[in-house]
Amino acid sequence: MRDVFVATKEALALLLSGDTGIWEIIGISFGVSLQAIVYVTPFCLVAAFLLAYGDFRGQRFLVSLVHTLLAVPAVVVGLTLYILLSRNGPLGDLKLLFTQGAMIIGQMLLAIPIVIAMAHSALKSSDKIIWETAKTLGASHTRAMLTVMSEARFGLFAAVIAAFGRIVAEVGCSMMVGGNILHHTRNIPTAIALETRKGEFAQGIALGLVLLILALGLNMMLSGARHRFETA
Amino acid sequence: MTGEIRFENVEKVYGDRVLLSVDSFTMCAGNCTLITGDNGAGKTTLLKIFSGLLKPEKTVVSIAGRQLSWQKARPELQSSVVYLHQSPYMFDASVYENVAYGLRAARLPAAEIDEMVWESLHWGKLDHLTHRNARVLSGGEQQRVALTRARIIRPRFLVLDEPTTSMDRKSRHQTYELIQLLRGEDMSILISTHDIEPFLEIVSHHHYLEGGHLHEISIPARSPHGKSSGVVTTFQRQGS
Repeated sequence: MRDVFVATKEALALLLSGDTGIWEIIGISFGVSLQAIVYVTPFCLVAAFLLAYGDFRGQRFLVSLVHTLLAVPAVVVGLTLYILLSRNGPLGDLKLLFTQGAMIIGQMLLAIPIVIAMAHSALKSSDKIIWETAKTLGASHTRAMLTVMSEARFGLFAAVIAAFGRIVAEVGCSMMVGGNILHHTRNIPTAIALETRKGEFAQGIALGLVLLILALGLNMMLSGARHRFETA
Repeated sequence: MTGEIRFENVEKVYGDRVLLSVDSFTMCAGNCTLITGDNGAGKTTLLKIFSGLLKPEKTVVSIAGRQLSWQKARPELQSSVVYLHQSPYMFDASVYENVAYGLRAARLPAAEIDEMVWESLHWGKLDHLTHRNARVLSGGEQQRVALTRARIIRPRFLVLDEPTTSMDRKSRHQTYELIQLLRGEDMSILISTHDIEPFLEIVSHHHYLEGGHLHEISIPARSPHGKSSGVVTTFQRQGS
């Protein structure tokens, strides 16, 4: 117990002292995960909207497929991507394996089903009257879709934040396709795994704290915005 | 120019239940038509089909004499008709933004939008609520915002689905006043209601929906002062 206390104290000192090694890892982590979430969000929101408001063959199958993909472990996504990107794989010529690009793709694949599934349920529970009101007032399909999304924005933010929280903390895929290379592909979760194996708990705890503070900050932001909306 | 919209053989089915089976329904420009009927008779379904918001299983639509498939008729209906829900949806924005919605959708210049919105807010007696979030208004105020929001885009037909249901007396009165003003502006209006008396002064046609079937009902004669000579409390179906 005392060891944990000492390690946590050291962790805080590391963070506050501006240790360049640790802040570089944090920077890589955020850079990769933010890019991944930014790239997938527009596509996922439109896909979720079509699944919620569309009327086409195979719609229910696609919803089931998205929910099934939620259950795929990160290491399986990592393994699949590793095979595709490895030198002899079909995408080997792109030379992306063990780069941040590969990590971004991996995290995008992990985020897609989360954002679509959660955004779909947020949009599905929003009232169809929003769409009808927008359409009857002369909105184009695109404007009406954006109106529905705007009215359901808290559910959609929650979907994006949940997905970001998941990918910024995942270790399996980043480890496999990123390779945990110092200064290049070492992010918070892969660094925690490495430092723990080495017995360097302080750095592991410091990085874990960053993830916790991030999760807390994002959730407070969301609940603050929801509170302002409800009391407006 | 859409002068007349005519539906024939309209059928709407949910599961194995026939909700609506209307032989013919015509709405002409300049008319004010009432549709009455019990709850579940299919009033909302008919009104939503007329507004292009709900696809019927089958129908033949003629707009200004041109017979169109539903795919072609739908966008024309949506651009000619504004449908007001029984409990209108207020976008999570100010009253001003709600009223401006249709004009922004039409991509009008900002200055023109501003001028039209202020004129409309004044028309709807909403000046003092301009910057309030429309969601926090009372039911009567929201109905006024909805009528103002519909009027501003000058639709050829305005469809009001039970516009005064669950309103207090004062709000109901204000809503009637606005509807009368709209009639004064020659707006063609289709209203579903349980309460026909307040509309007798402005109504030109009356239909009764029963079990998904539509029956035309004669309008009581009016006195020389424009007032109805009698109040219809029971409906005689034509031919019954």
